[in-house]
Amino acid sequence: MNFSRKELIQTEATMNQMRNAVFHLVRLMEKNGIENSKEKLRKMGQNIAKTYLKYWKPTDMITLVNLRDVITTVYQKVLNSTVSIDINEIEKIIEVRDYNCALCKYHYEDVEIAGCEILLGLVSEMITNISKESNGNTLLSLKPNEVSESRAYGNKVCTQKFIYKLGEGE
Amino acid sequence: MNLGAFQWLMKKITKIFGRSTNALFYTLLYREILKEVNEITHNEEESLIILREIGKRAALESCERHSSIFKFMPGNPKKVLDYFEILWVVVFGTELDEYSYEEIAKEGSKYNDYILKITKCPICAGYGYDLEDSVKFDKIQNKDTEGLACGLCGMLETVANYILKIKRNDYRIQIVEQACITKGGDCLQFICKILDYKEWKELLESNTQQKKIINTYFKEIIDEEILQETKLDIIDKLQEVISIDKLEEYLDEPLESIKEKVSDIIKDKLNMESEHFFDYFRNYEDDMIRIIGYLGIHLLNEYGGLLEKFFKNKWLAKIFGYIFKQLKEMTLLFIPLDVIRDYNTLLVSFLEGLAPQEMVDNVKQFTGRDSITYVFEGAQMALQNLGIDFSELKENVWDELKAERENGLISSDTSPIEKTREKVPQIINIIQQFLMIINDILTLPIRVLISESHYGLKTAINSVVSEEEGLYGSIRERFDNIFDQIQEIRK
Repeated sequence: MNFSRKELIQTEATMNQMRNAVFHLVRLMEKNGIENSKEKLRKMGQNIAKTYLKYWKPTDMITLVNLRDVITTVYQKVLNSTVSIDINEIEKIIEVRDYNCALCKYHYEDVEIAGCEILLGLVSEMITNISKESNGNTLLSLKPNEVSESRAYGNKVCTQKFIYKLGEGE
Repeated sequence: MNLGAFQWLMKKITKIFGRSTNALFYTLLYREILKEVNEITHNEEESLIILREIGKRAALESCERHSSIFKFMPGNPKKVLDYFEILWVVVFGTELDEYSYEEIAKEGSKYNDYILKITKCPICAGYGYDLEDSVKFDKIQNKDTEGLACGLCGMLETVANYILKIKRNDYRIQIVEQACITKGGDCLQFICKILDYKEWKELLESNTQQKKIINTYFKEIIDEEILQETKLDIIDKLQEVISIDKLEEYLDEPLESIKEKVSDIIKDKLNMESEHFFDYFRNYEDDMIRIIGYLGIHLLNEYGGLLEKFFKNKWLAKIFGYIFKQLKEMTLLFIPLDVIRDYNTLLVSFLEGLAPQEMVDNVKQFTGRDSITYVFEGAQMALQNLGIDFSELKENVWDELKAERENGLISSDTSPIEKTREKVPQIINIIQQFLMIINDILTLPIRVLISESHYGLKTAINSVVSEEEGLYGSIRERFDNIFDQIQEIRK
């Protein structure tokens, strides 16, 4: 009897080579004329989130009150990252700063995309889906904004930004 | 499965220095990479070839970045496969669950082939049951095509061959996925073939179809055989005479054999008799003992520069400094002088026959306390070289923690302080475990001397703590605990 995906949640795997693999995939995309590789990475993250939620979710209910804790839990449990989070309620921007990003570590001269574009897709999809399931029409939705800093760009930290929207169902 | 000391150590080191995530995230990311590749090729068979190539390139990049770590590994292809579990941990970071190993005789060849059957495959886990698992393996016609774990397989093959290359071995290992659970197999099965360099080159040349596909999509072929020349460092030199993968063998040898080996090394490498060599230290015996402590620390550091890297972190340097200070005091305060004297007797016993009699007589004049103090002085000098500023250390670790909280060096934001406080129990646990290890070790020498001519060092080790576990088991358990605490802190 093979492992189930639920069982995999109990264990950890080393990302060192998978992190490199993501950048080799980006190079492959570019060499084969794919221009929207950033969107592709975000889509990968969204797909990961959709499957992941079938086996684990941080909470059943998400509101603006617990949003910071939910995001912290996702980064900690899924990515083993301890992050700091700022929520700008005027601009509706969430800024997540990760000093030990699981997907970016080295600066590549030939790649201009951060591996953590995948996380923009993953986190926004997870939060939006949980909110959709639990809150009905009082939806809290997240959308990827940008990776404004990344270790893949030569910065010391990865900063992932999301835009959130409150109160509207889709 | 009973792991050897080398395998256990390598697995722990590899896991500690890897950046891990949840295994489900890893598996789903792997799936997504395959999906994206398939959206480029629109051909499942070609996608698997490309995924394998991505795995190979990713592994090569990692190996080149951390080449020092692979210098620990054995340079013999048979041993590389014996240590498949380590390869698996290097590549995947998690334990290899259940597996079996079958040797297939290959006539006329120096090495046989090996078949590895892995009952549980984390890559295939649950594949095909979720909507997002969209690459369909039933479309694959060619029965020789690998399965879902081909990317992992490419990583394993590249790491294995990188080790052989860096150890200047002329053999290479071909690892091919023969059975895949997603494709309907009952396990993940690899066949591993050990080929000499000529056969390996011929194999690479003959894979024209694969090369064509790789070239079509990557627009280039990477030659893995090009190894960046690194100057021979002290690890290479050390490995010529002592190899960490032979830990078990060394533990089996009695003191007399070890003395013979040391004598041979001095003859081979320095072209002089051991007595002549030790004569240089006559009347400077205290410095010689200091050098033991000094070199001990520097040799530890030479394996990957780990100590130096650790000590670049101010906090880790301080923690090690406090542990060292406490050990120094503990050793002289709490370890019975009889035990320390035994160590001195062991040193005298080691020097007898190797060093001039006058020197042996001088060392006999030292008390156990003197010898231990000299060793610690030497070790402290080395630690200072490597980045621990002993002059900065407070009287004890509690003063240090208090000072950090009061003087505002840590951010006024409460969360970092809380995080530090959360880590204190782990740090204390690590310190305790190190102290227990030292206590365990300090009871060893008398047994070494008693059993020297009969059973050898290993028997002595196994007789110390309990018949079932032995000293080695006890120390390993404590190190397991330390590694776990370090992993917790790293989170």
